[in-house]
Amino acid sequence: MKTVTFRKEVQEQLDLIKTADIVVGIPSFNNARTIGHVVRAVQAGLAKYFPDRKSVLVNSDGGSTDKTHDVVKETSIEDYASILLHHRVEPLFKIATPYSGLPGKGSAFRTIFEVAEALDAKACVVVDSDLRSITPEWIELLVKPVLEDGFDYVAPLYHRHKYDGTITNSIVYPLTRALYGKRVRQPIGGDFGFSGTLAKFYLTKDVWQTDVARFGIDIWMTTTAIANQFRVTQSFLGAKIHDAKDPSADLSAMLYQVVGATFELMETYADVWKPIRGSEPVTAFGFEYTVGLEQVNVNTGRMLNLFREGLKNLQEIWTDVLGLGDFREVERIGLLGAKEFRFPLGLWTRVIYDYAIAFHEKKLPAEHLIKSLTPLYLGKTASFVLEVEQMGQQEAEAEIEKLCLEFEKNKEYLVTSWK
Amino acid sequence: MTDFLNLILEPLQELFLRFKAFLPNLLAMLVIVIAGILLARLLRAIFVRFLKAINFDSWSDRMGMTTLLRKGDLWAKPALALGAIVFWALVIVVLMTGLSALKISAIDQLVAQFFMYLPRVFSAVLILIVGYVLAGFISRAMLIAAVNSGFHYAKLLAEAIRLLLTVLILAMVLEQLQVAPGIVLAAFSIIFGGIVAALAISFGVGGIDAAKRMIERETVEKRKEEVKDDIEHI
Repeated sequence: MKTVTFRKEVQEQLDLIKTADIVVGIPSFNNARTIGHVVRAVQAGLAKYFPDRKSVLVNSDGGSTDKTHDVVKETSIEDYASILLHHRVEPLFKIATPYSGLPGKGSAFRTIFEVAEALDAKACVVVDSDLRSITPEWIELLVKPVLEDGFDYVAPLYHRHKYDGTITNSIVYPLTRALYGKRVRQPIGGDFGFSGTLAKFYLTKDVWQTDVARFGIDIWMTTTAIANQFRVTQSFLGAKIHDAKDPSADLSAMLYQVVGATFELMETYADVWKPIRGSEPVTAFGFEYTVGLEQVNVNTGRMLNLFREGLKNLQEIWTDVLGLGDFREVERIGLLGAKEFRFPLGLWTRVIYDYAIAFHEKKLPAEHLIKSLTPLYLGKTASFVLEVEQMGQQEAEAEIEKLCLEFEKNKEYLVTSWK
Repeated sequence: MTDFLNLILEPLQELFLRFKAFLPNLLAMLVIVIAGILLARLLRAIFVRFLKAINFDSWSDRMGMTTLLRKGDLWAKPALALGAIVFWALVIVVLMTGLSALKISAIDQLVAQFFMYLPRVFSAVLILIVGYVLAGFISRAMLIAAVNSGFHYAKLLAEAIRLLLTVLILAMVLEQLQVAPGIVLAAFSIIFGGIVAALAISFGVGGIDAAKRMIERETVEKRKEEVKDDIEHI
């Protein structure tokens, strides 16, 4: 499915470079404020850990108007001596190009895959352009398992605040783990390492005119790697801190993007996930250490209000999707006070499975269906926050583990209901 | 006497001759009607089977058509109901075709008018179906968006939008059918304008207190929600 045509100057650069060992891709859109730090970290990482490897940094941009492009071109490390043991041997090439196709992270990644294929790269890395906590070690941790240990896909492992990443923790991780049987803790982490072979395999898939091109790329990359038997591992990268997101960003749109892509992949790989039961751990690279995390404020009152609004107004849709029995159960927890409010794990598991089945059966237009999940998700998130309020990071992680086991336990229900 | 008999027999003879001339037409009509009804039954059976094969019933459930049928006290399965509609539409067409075989000028005119009116009926039905699906889609999208943004009167808003769209669609359908277009246009303007005016008046005059309470409630909620929320969902 090779349809990307590079700009003339990019093609000339590629002709000049010919081949590369490592391609590092940074998708961007108006990230002038933060991309400089990311480029410096990447440069330092390549110079420090892969001085004898021919490396190319690709900035795939979505038409930024804030000079992101200039920042990428002009950023360089003046004083390598302060961070290096050895001086670089191989030069680092930089390609900054706007991507073509549908606007979105997926299209940006596609251009990076194309560059990797054109240069016959052995290993590739993609990192977000708004990262504040990226260090040169991230490059080592994402590249080495591919170059030296023969892995095809390296997912990130981060330390995050117990309240952060709730879509990952309560939906994407437990569901992906129960479906495909691999415990990849951050399937939509955003920063990945992968082999040149896998980049080429991604390009064989005709998904670039779908939602994958826009937003579902992270879960698509992870699921495609697992479902197609590529060797998958994880690397511990430390804390993930990135530029503050727009607070007005619509949660239901975000949920639709991520959950929609996950459900869509369930359709593609139904034959793969149906026979799988239980899950197995995935090896992890890197030295795990405790990091200090910033305080996260959560307004559970607002979440519960939205959950109750959903209960009052979306009754018909929820009854249709969940069935009367589970809807009554949701109604029952809706009557609980703010302090004792808990969303039972079994019920939440069935809610997600029922939504997946409703998506499969096309009970409603996909966007309506998944956006109607938002109040339920907020109820679950509020319940989790209230539950782990007094707990430490590890105990909170143990709660997520319990949820994952519940997803695995109830998988039979999903398989038998999937017609 | 002969003259008198002729006076009686001639009209009868005339009647007989006319009936003789008319009989083939009548037979043709009967054949058309009987064959047409049999064909309509066959087509209904094929059509229903086709609808079942494409899972029309579950599509209808999803689109809310089944609910609409139930509201109209129609308890047949949607595929069977649509089959029956198609059957009766065919029967009407067959009857009209049969009547035209009688070759009676008054009926011929009626039949011609009927067939000229048919395209309007089809486009009205199309407007009704598409409009119904669209109204349901828009009002559901509005309901979900309003709930997710924490609007307290989400259902009321969604129902109001559905009502306005339904009025608009029905007006379009009646206009298409040319049912008293002047009255339809006036009635539509009155109803549509009336709804908007009623809302404006109820908020502006009659419902000052209620509107105040609603706005206060929204403001209090917003103030409560101003408690900082830093959670990153992804």
